[in-house]
Amino acid sequence: MWQLLQREFQALQRDGWQLALISYVPLLGFLFLWWLFSAALPRQLPVALVDEDHSSVSRELGRYIDANSVTEPIAYTDLQAAVAAMRSGEVFAVVRLPYALQHDLLTGHKPTIDLRYNGQFLLVGKLLSSQLQLTLADGLQQLARLKLLAAGVNPAQVAVRLTPVATQNTALFNRNMNYVGFLVPPMLIALWQLVAMLCYANSLSRELREQSLADCYRLGLLRVLAAKWLFYTPLMLLHGMLLLVMMYGYLGLPIAGNLLWLLPAQLIMLLAVWLWVQAMFFVMADSARIISMCSGLFAPAFAFMGITFPTSNMPLVAQWWRALIPSSHYIETHIALVSHGQGLLTVLQQSRGYLGFLLLLLPAWYFARRYGRTLLPERQTSGVPL
Amino acid sequence: MSWWRWIGLDLLSVMKDRAIALTLFGGISFYAILYPSPYLNNVPTAQALVVVDLDHSSLSRQMIRHADANPGISVKGYAGSIDDARQWLEDGRASSILVIPEDFRHKLLRGNQVTLGYGGDASYFLIYSAVVQGLTQAGLDIAHKVQLRGLLAQGTNPTKAEKSLDAIALNAVPVFNKGLGYPAYVIPGLFLLILHQTLLIGTGILGAGQWRRSGYWHQLSPLGIVLCRIGSFTLLYCVFSALYIGWCYYLYGVGLLASLGQVLLLMLPFLLATACCGVALSTLFNRRDLPTQILVLSSMPILFASGFVWPLTLIPEPLIWVSQLVPAVPGIMGMLQLNQMGADWSQVLPRWLQLWALLLLYLPLAWWGVKRRLQQLPQVNA
Repeated sequence: MWQLLQREFQALQRDGWQLALISYVPLLGFLFLWWLFSAALPRQLPVALVDEDHSSVSRELGRYIDANSVTEPIAYTDLQAAVAAMRSGEVFAVVRLPYALQHDLLTGHKPTIDLRYNGQFLLVGKLLSSQLQLTLADGLQQLARLKLLAAGVNPAQVAVRLTPVATQNTALFNRNMNYVGFLVPPMLIALWQLVAMLCYANSLSRELREQSLADCYRLGLLRVLAAKWLFYTPLMLLHGMLLLVMMYGYLGLPIAGNLLWLLPAQLIMLLAVWLWVQAMFFVMADSARIISMCSGLFAPAFAFMGITFPTSNMPLVAQWWRALIPSSHYIETHIALVSHGQGLLTVLQQSRGYLGFLLLLLPAWYFARRYGRTLLPERQTSGVPL
Repeated sequence: MSWWRWIGLDLLSVMKDRAIALTLFGGISFYAILYPSPYLNNVPTAQALVVVDLDHSSLSRQMIRHADANPGISVKGYAGSIDDARQWLEDGRASSILVIPEDFRHKLLRGNQVTLGYGGDASYFLIYSAVVQGLTQAGLDIAHKVQLRGLLAQGTNPTKAEKSLDAIALNAVPVFNKGLGYPAYVIPGLFLLILHQTLLIGTGILGAGQWRRSGYWHQLSPLGIVLCRIGSFTLLYCVFSALYIGWCYYLYGVGLLASLGQVLLLMLPFLLATACCGVALSTLFNRRDLPTQILVLSSMPILFASGFVWPLTLIPEPLIWVSQLVPAVPGIMGMLQLNQMGADWSQVLPRWLQLWALLLLYLPLAWWGVKRRLQQLPQVNA
C-alpha cells in the first residue's frame, strides 16, 4: 500500500494542473468569491428620487431616504430621466413624490406615493422595496404624529393610536442579514465539491492517458483505488477544513455548533463524490467526457442546494435531481450544525441519506470487470474478479 | 478552397468529436431543462410557521388565521413556549416563529400598545423575506381592524375613519420582473453564461486536440484558421442562441422587451468576441480534459461578478476591472438592459462597443497563439 501511495505522489508531481488543483486554484476561487461579497451588507444602493412637490414634507421624506444606510437618493427633476436611469440599471428604484403632496395631506385628501423597484435584480429589488417602504412609513408617521397632536390627542396616547400593534422581527441564525453568512458558505462548498471531483477524475483519467490502466489491474484495482482514496481524501478534507476555518474562524461568521463535527460530514460527502466519479470513469472511459459528465452533474450544485430557493418549493423532479448531488445532503448537515447548533448525532443521522450513493458501486463494478477482461484477457480464464 | 468549405470542415470535426458533441449538443439541451428546474414554481410559498400563542383569545386566533391565509405562510402547528418553538426550528419542522404575547387582546382593547414577535430562519433569505412579509401584512391587518373599531366606537363616520387611517397610499410595484419570480431573475443571465462557457469549452477541446497534430487546419495561415474557427463557432452558436433566447426565454416567461433586430445586433459581437476568446484560450491547452475543468471552475465567479446577483456598486473595483475582460460580463448586462429592462440602444451602446473592443483584443492574441502553435508542430513531429 505504501508503494501505491508513493505511485500516486509521483504521478501528482508530474502533473502541473493537478498540483495547481490541490493547492492554489481552490484558494484563488475561495478568495475571489469571498472578496466579491466582502461588502456583506448592501449599502448606498442608488435610488432615483423624483420630487414633484418641493414642499417641506417631500424634502423631509427625501432626508429620511438619505438617512437609511441602504439607500442613496439621487435627485431627478424629470420622471422620464429617472425611468431611463432605471432601465439602464443605474438606479435600482424610483420614488415619486407627487405634485401637491403636502397640500393633499393638509386638506385631508389621500395622495399616492409611487415606488417602483427593479424586480429583475431580485435580491436588490426586494431589499430596496422593504427598506424604502419602512423608511417612508417612518417618515409619514412623524407627520401623522404631528397631526394627532394638533388634533388634541394626549401625547402618551399618540404612539398607540399610530401603531397599536408593534412588531419585533428577528432574523434567526443570521442576525444582521449578512450576505457573506448567507451566500458564501454554500458557494464555497459547491466550489470545493467541484475541485474534489476534478482532482479525483484527473487522478483516474491519468491512468488512461498514460495507458497504465492495465498496470492497475495487475497491481490489484481495488488496492489502487483504495490508495487514491487514501491519498486524495485527506488533501481535500484539508481544503474543506481550511474554508470552514476561514469562514467561521477568521471571518467570524456566527456558528452555534462545534466546527469539528463537520469533519465527518465533509468526509462522507467526499466519499460520495468519489463514488460518482468512479462510476462515471468506468462507464465513460474517456478523460474529456468524464469531466463533461461530472461537470454536468456537479456544476449546478449551488442552484440545487436549496439555499437561494427553498427546497420545499422545488418541483418533485428537481428534488430528485437534488438528491443525486452529494453537496445538497451535506448542506443540510452544515446548516443544522452551524445554525441550529446540532451535534454529532444529527451528523450521523443525516449521513444515512448518503446510503443511496452506494448503488453507484454497481455500474463501477460491472464496467470495471468488463475493462479487466479486455485489458488482461489472460485473467479471464483464471477467474480472478478484478 | 472557399471559406465555406473550411468552415464546413471545422463544423464537421466538431460533430465527429464525441466529447465536444456531448458538451455542446448534450450540455446545452440538458442545461436548458436542468438549470431552471429548481425555480419552476417561481416564488416561495407556504413556508412552515410554528405559532406560540400565549394569549388564546379570539383576536389572537384571528391573527393566526390571517397569517395562515397569506400565500407565503402555512401554519404547521402550535408550541407551548418559545423554547418548544425553538425545538421545532432545530428539527426542521418549521422555519419561522410567530409569538403572540399574553394579554394581546386585552391590551389592545384597553388602548395599550402590544408587540408581536416574528422570527424567521435567515439562513435562507427568500424564506425569511416571504415569512416576514406575510406576517407583517397580517399584523397590519389586525392593527387596522382594531383602530377602525376604536374609531367607529367613538362615533366617527366610517368613510372618514377609513381615510384617517391611511392618510397616504404607498403604491409599491416591482417592474421588469413583475411577479418577482425566480426564473425570470436567474435565467436571462444564466443562459447567456451557459452559451459563453460551452462555446469556450468547445473551442478549447477542439483546439487542444488539434494543435499538436497536423490536419486541414495547417493548410491555412494562422489568421485564416482563427477567422475560420470564429466563423464556424459563431454559426453554430447562432443556432444555440436561437434555441435559448428565441425559445427558452419564451418558455420560461422571461421579460422580452427588445426587438429582434436589437437582440441580433447585441448577440453578434457577443458570439464573435466569445469565439475569438475561445480560440485564444484554446492555444494554451495541451490536454483535451483541461478546458472543461478551468471553465467549470470559473463559471460561478463569472456569474456573480456579472452584476445582476450582487450589485456592481458593492463589488471591489479590481474585481470589476478583471471581470470586464470576460465577454459574458458585458454580454449579460447588455442583454438584461436591452431585453429585460427595455433600455434604449443608446444606453446599451457602451456594452456593445466593449464587446467589439474585446474582439479586437482577443483577435491578435488568438492569431499569435495559433502562430506559435503552428511553429511548434515541426518540433513535435521531429
